[in-house]
Amino acid sequence: MFLSSSPRKTDVNGYRSDSNLIPPSGTSFVARHARMFHHAADTHTESNDALLIALLERVAMQDDAALKVLYRQCAPKLYGLALRVVTHRDWAEDVLQEAFLSIWRAAPDYRASLSPPMAWMGLIVRSRGLDMLRRRTADRSHVTQELDETLTDTLAGEVPTPMDTAQASEQAWAPHQCLGRLDNKQREVVSLAYVRDLSHGELAQQLSLPLGTVKTWIRRGLEQLRVCMAHFA
Amino acid sequence: MNILNKPELLDRLASSYALGTLRGGARRRFEAMAREQAPVRAAALIWQSRLSSINELQPQVQPDAVVWTRIHNLVQGEKASTAQAAVRSRAAVPEPAGLASWLRSLALWRTATAVGAMATVAAVTVSVGQRQDFGGEIARLQNQLQAAPQIAYVAVLADDQAAASMLVTFDPKAKKLTLQRVGAYQEAGDRSLQLWALPPAGGPKSLGVLSRDKLLRLTAGERDVREVPTLAISLEPKGGVPSETGPTGPVLFKGALIQKML
Repeated sequence: MFLSSSPRKTDVNGYRSDSNLIPPSGTSFVARHARMFHHAADTHTESNDALLIALLERVAMQDDAALKVLYRQCAPKLYGLALRVVTHRDWAEDVLQEAFLSIWRAAPDYRASLSPPMAWMGLIVRSRGLDMLRRRTADRSHVTQELDETLTDTLAGEVPTPMDTAQASEQAWAPHQCLGRLDNKQREVVSLAYVRDLSHGELAQQLSLPLGTVKTWIRRGLEQLRVCMAHFA
Repeated sequence: MNILNKPELLDRLASSYALGTLRGGARRRFEAMAREQAPVRAAALIWQSRLSSINELQPQVQPDAVVWTRIHNLVQGEKASTAQAAVRSRAAVPEPAGLASWLRSLALWRTATAVGAMATVAAVTVSVGQRQDFGGEIARLQNQLQAAPQIAYVAVLADDQAAASMLVTFDPKAKKLTLQRVGAYQEAGDRSLQLWALPPAGGPKSLGVLSRDKLLRLTAGERDVREVPTLAISLEPKGGVPSETGPTGPVLFKGALIQKML
């Protein structure tokens, strides 16, 4: 939502050219951009986080009207995540449904999680998605090997893994910046390993890549992420 | 080997652990270290929250409308069975007289007035038609939250179909009640909506008459709002009615008021 009204949009579109030309040297690069960003977009994410927290507090008190507002606000983002985990639309719909029932029941525990609201809900969706994948792979072992076309394109290095900061919480900003600096292939395998909870071997099998290649991409991707994140710590 | 003396190695292990690619014996050894040493545990938690941002960065996709219908039905089913259980368990314990009579009169206004029922139906129908506008409404609400960072109370007022129609926030510092219409309900030209506080004891207290704008501001003291469990909006003759009279028309929307804790 803030994407359309804040300079962060430029970051989303601009990081690829930046990342290839100028590696972050020292803290000043990051610090400068961090300041620039915080000045412009802090209030947007903070107010979005505040709105979602207020709604979760209402949901915790069994307010189904608040649940509806929360759904309208968050469902597209969470459905996007569910699709990424399970890849099939009808499964993703089931995941979204189960996740919102979990949110309805677990909202009283939200405060104790000490997480930003979208991070908390994202973990619930991913966890329901992984449950679904486990059930389905037990039924039919071939399904997780289906690849969507965008994934193939991404691994060919043509298209960056789509990333969208809309609705993301404040804490997602630094990881977004650092992921944005990764090579497309590295970013894709790192994202996929995380979102689908895959081992090196499973990734190699699903992506039809040599095991050594997957290991190298993951290792380099994580290492770059580690160095980049240290600047924000 | 003490891993705490090797911060880079610790960071590397923690990142692979959180990503999920640290497996087998290496994973078990890392878990054992985390159980024994808090800094190892902290490193793992930091990487778990960093990587959880990947969840939040996925592109948005609009789910089919049927998903919400399914969720709504399941939630209503759960609410109904919890309510039944609650009724059974406190059947012998009467509610405080004041609150009970208010709830009864609310029910009476709502059920006895055909006009009110029809207005509610109209509000629901229109709000379904204007769902497209919702994103804009939320954006405006966010701007409003931004402009009023001291919000200490929040209420979502809904009609009897649980369709959210009004979001209310209260800023005790500025003594401002802000109302945001989120449904498309619009009262007739010769009518006004009036906002009431329903305190646990005593009669409803008028907090003001609503203008026809999407975003409304009313002035109210914290005393008027604090410890008020419920807000309600009734349909009144144009210009509203005096507070002492109490609501004369049907209650269209109501909802619990909560104090924000964070």
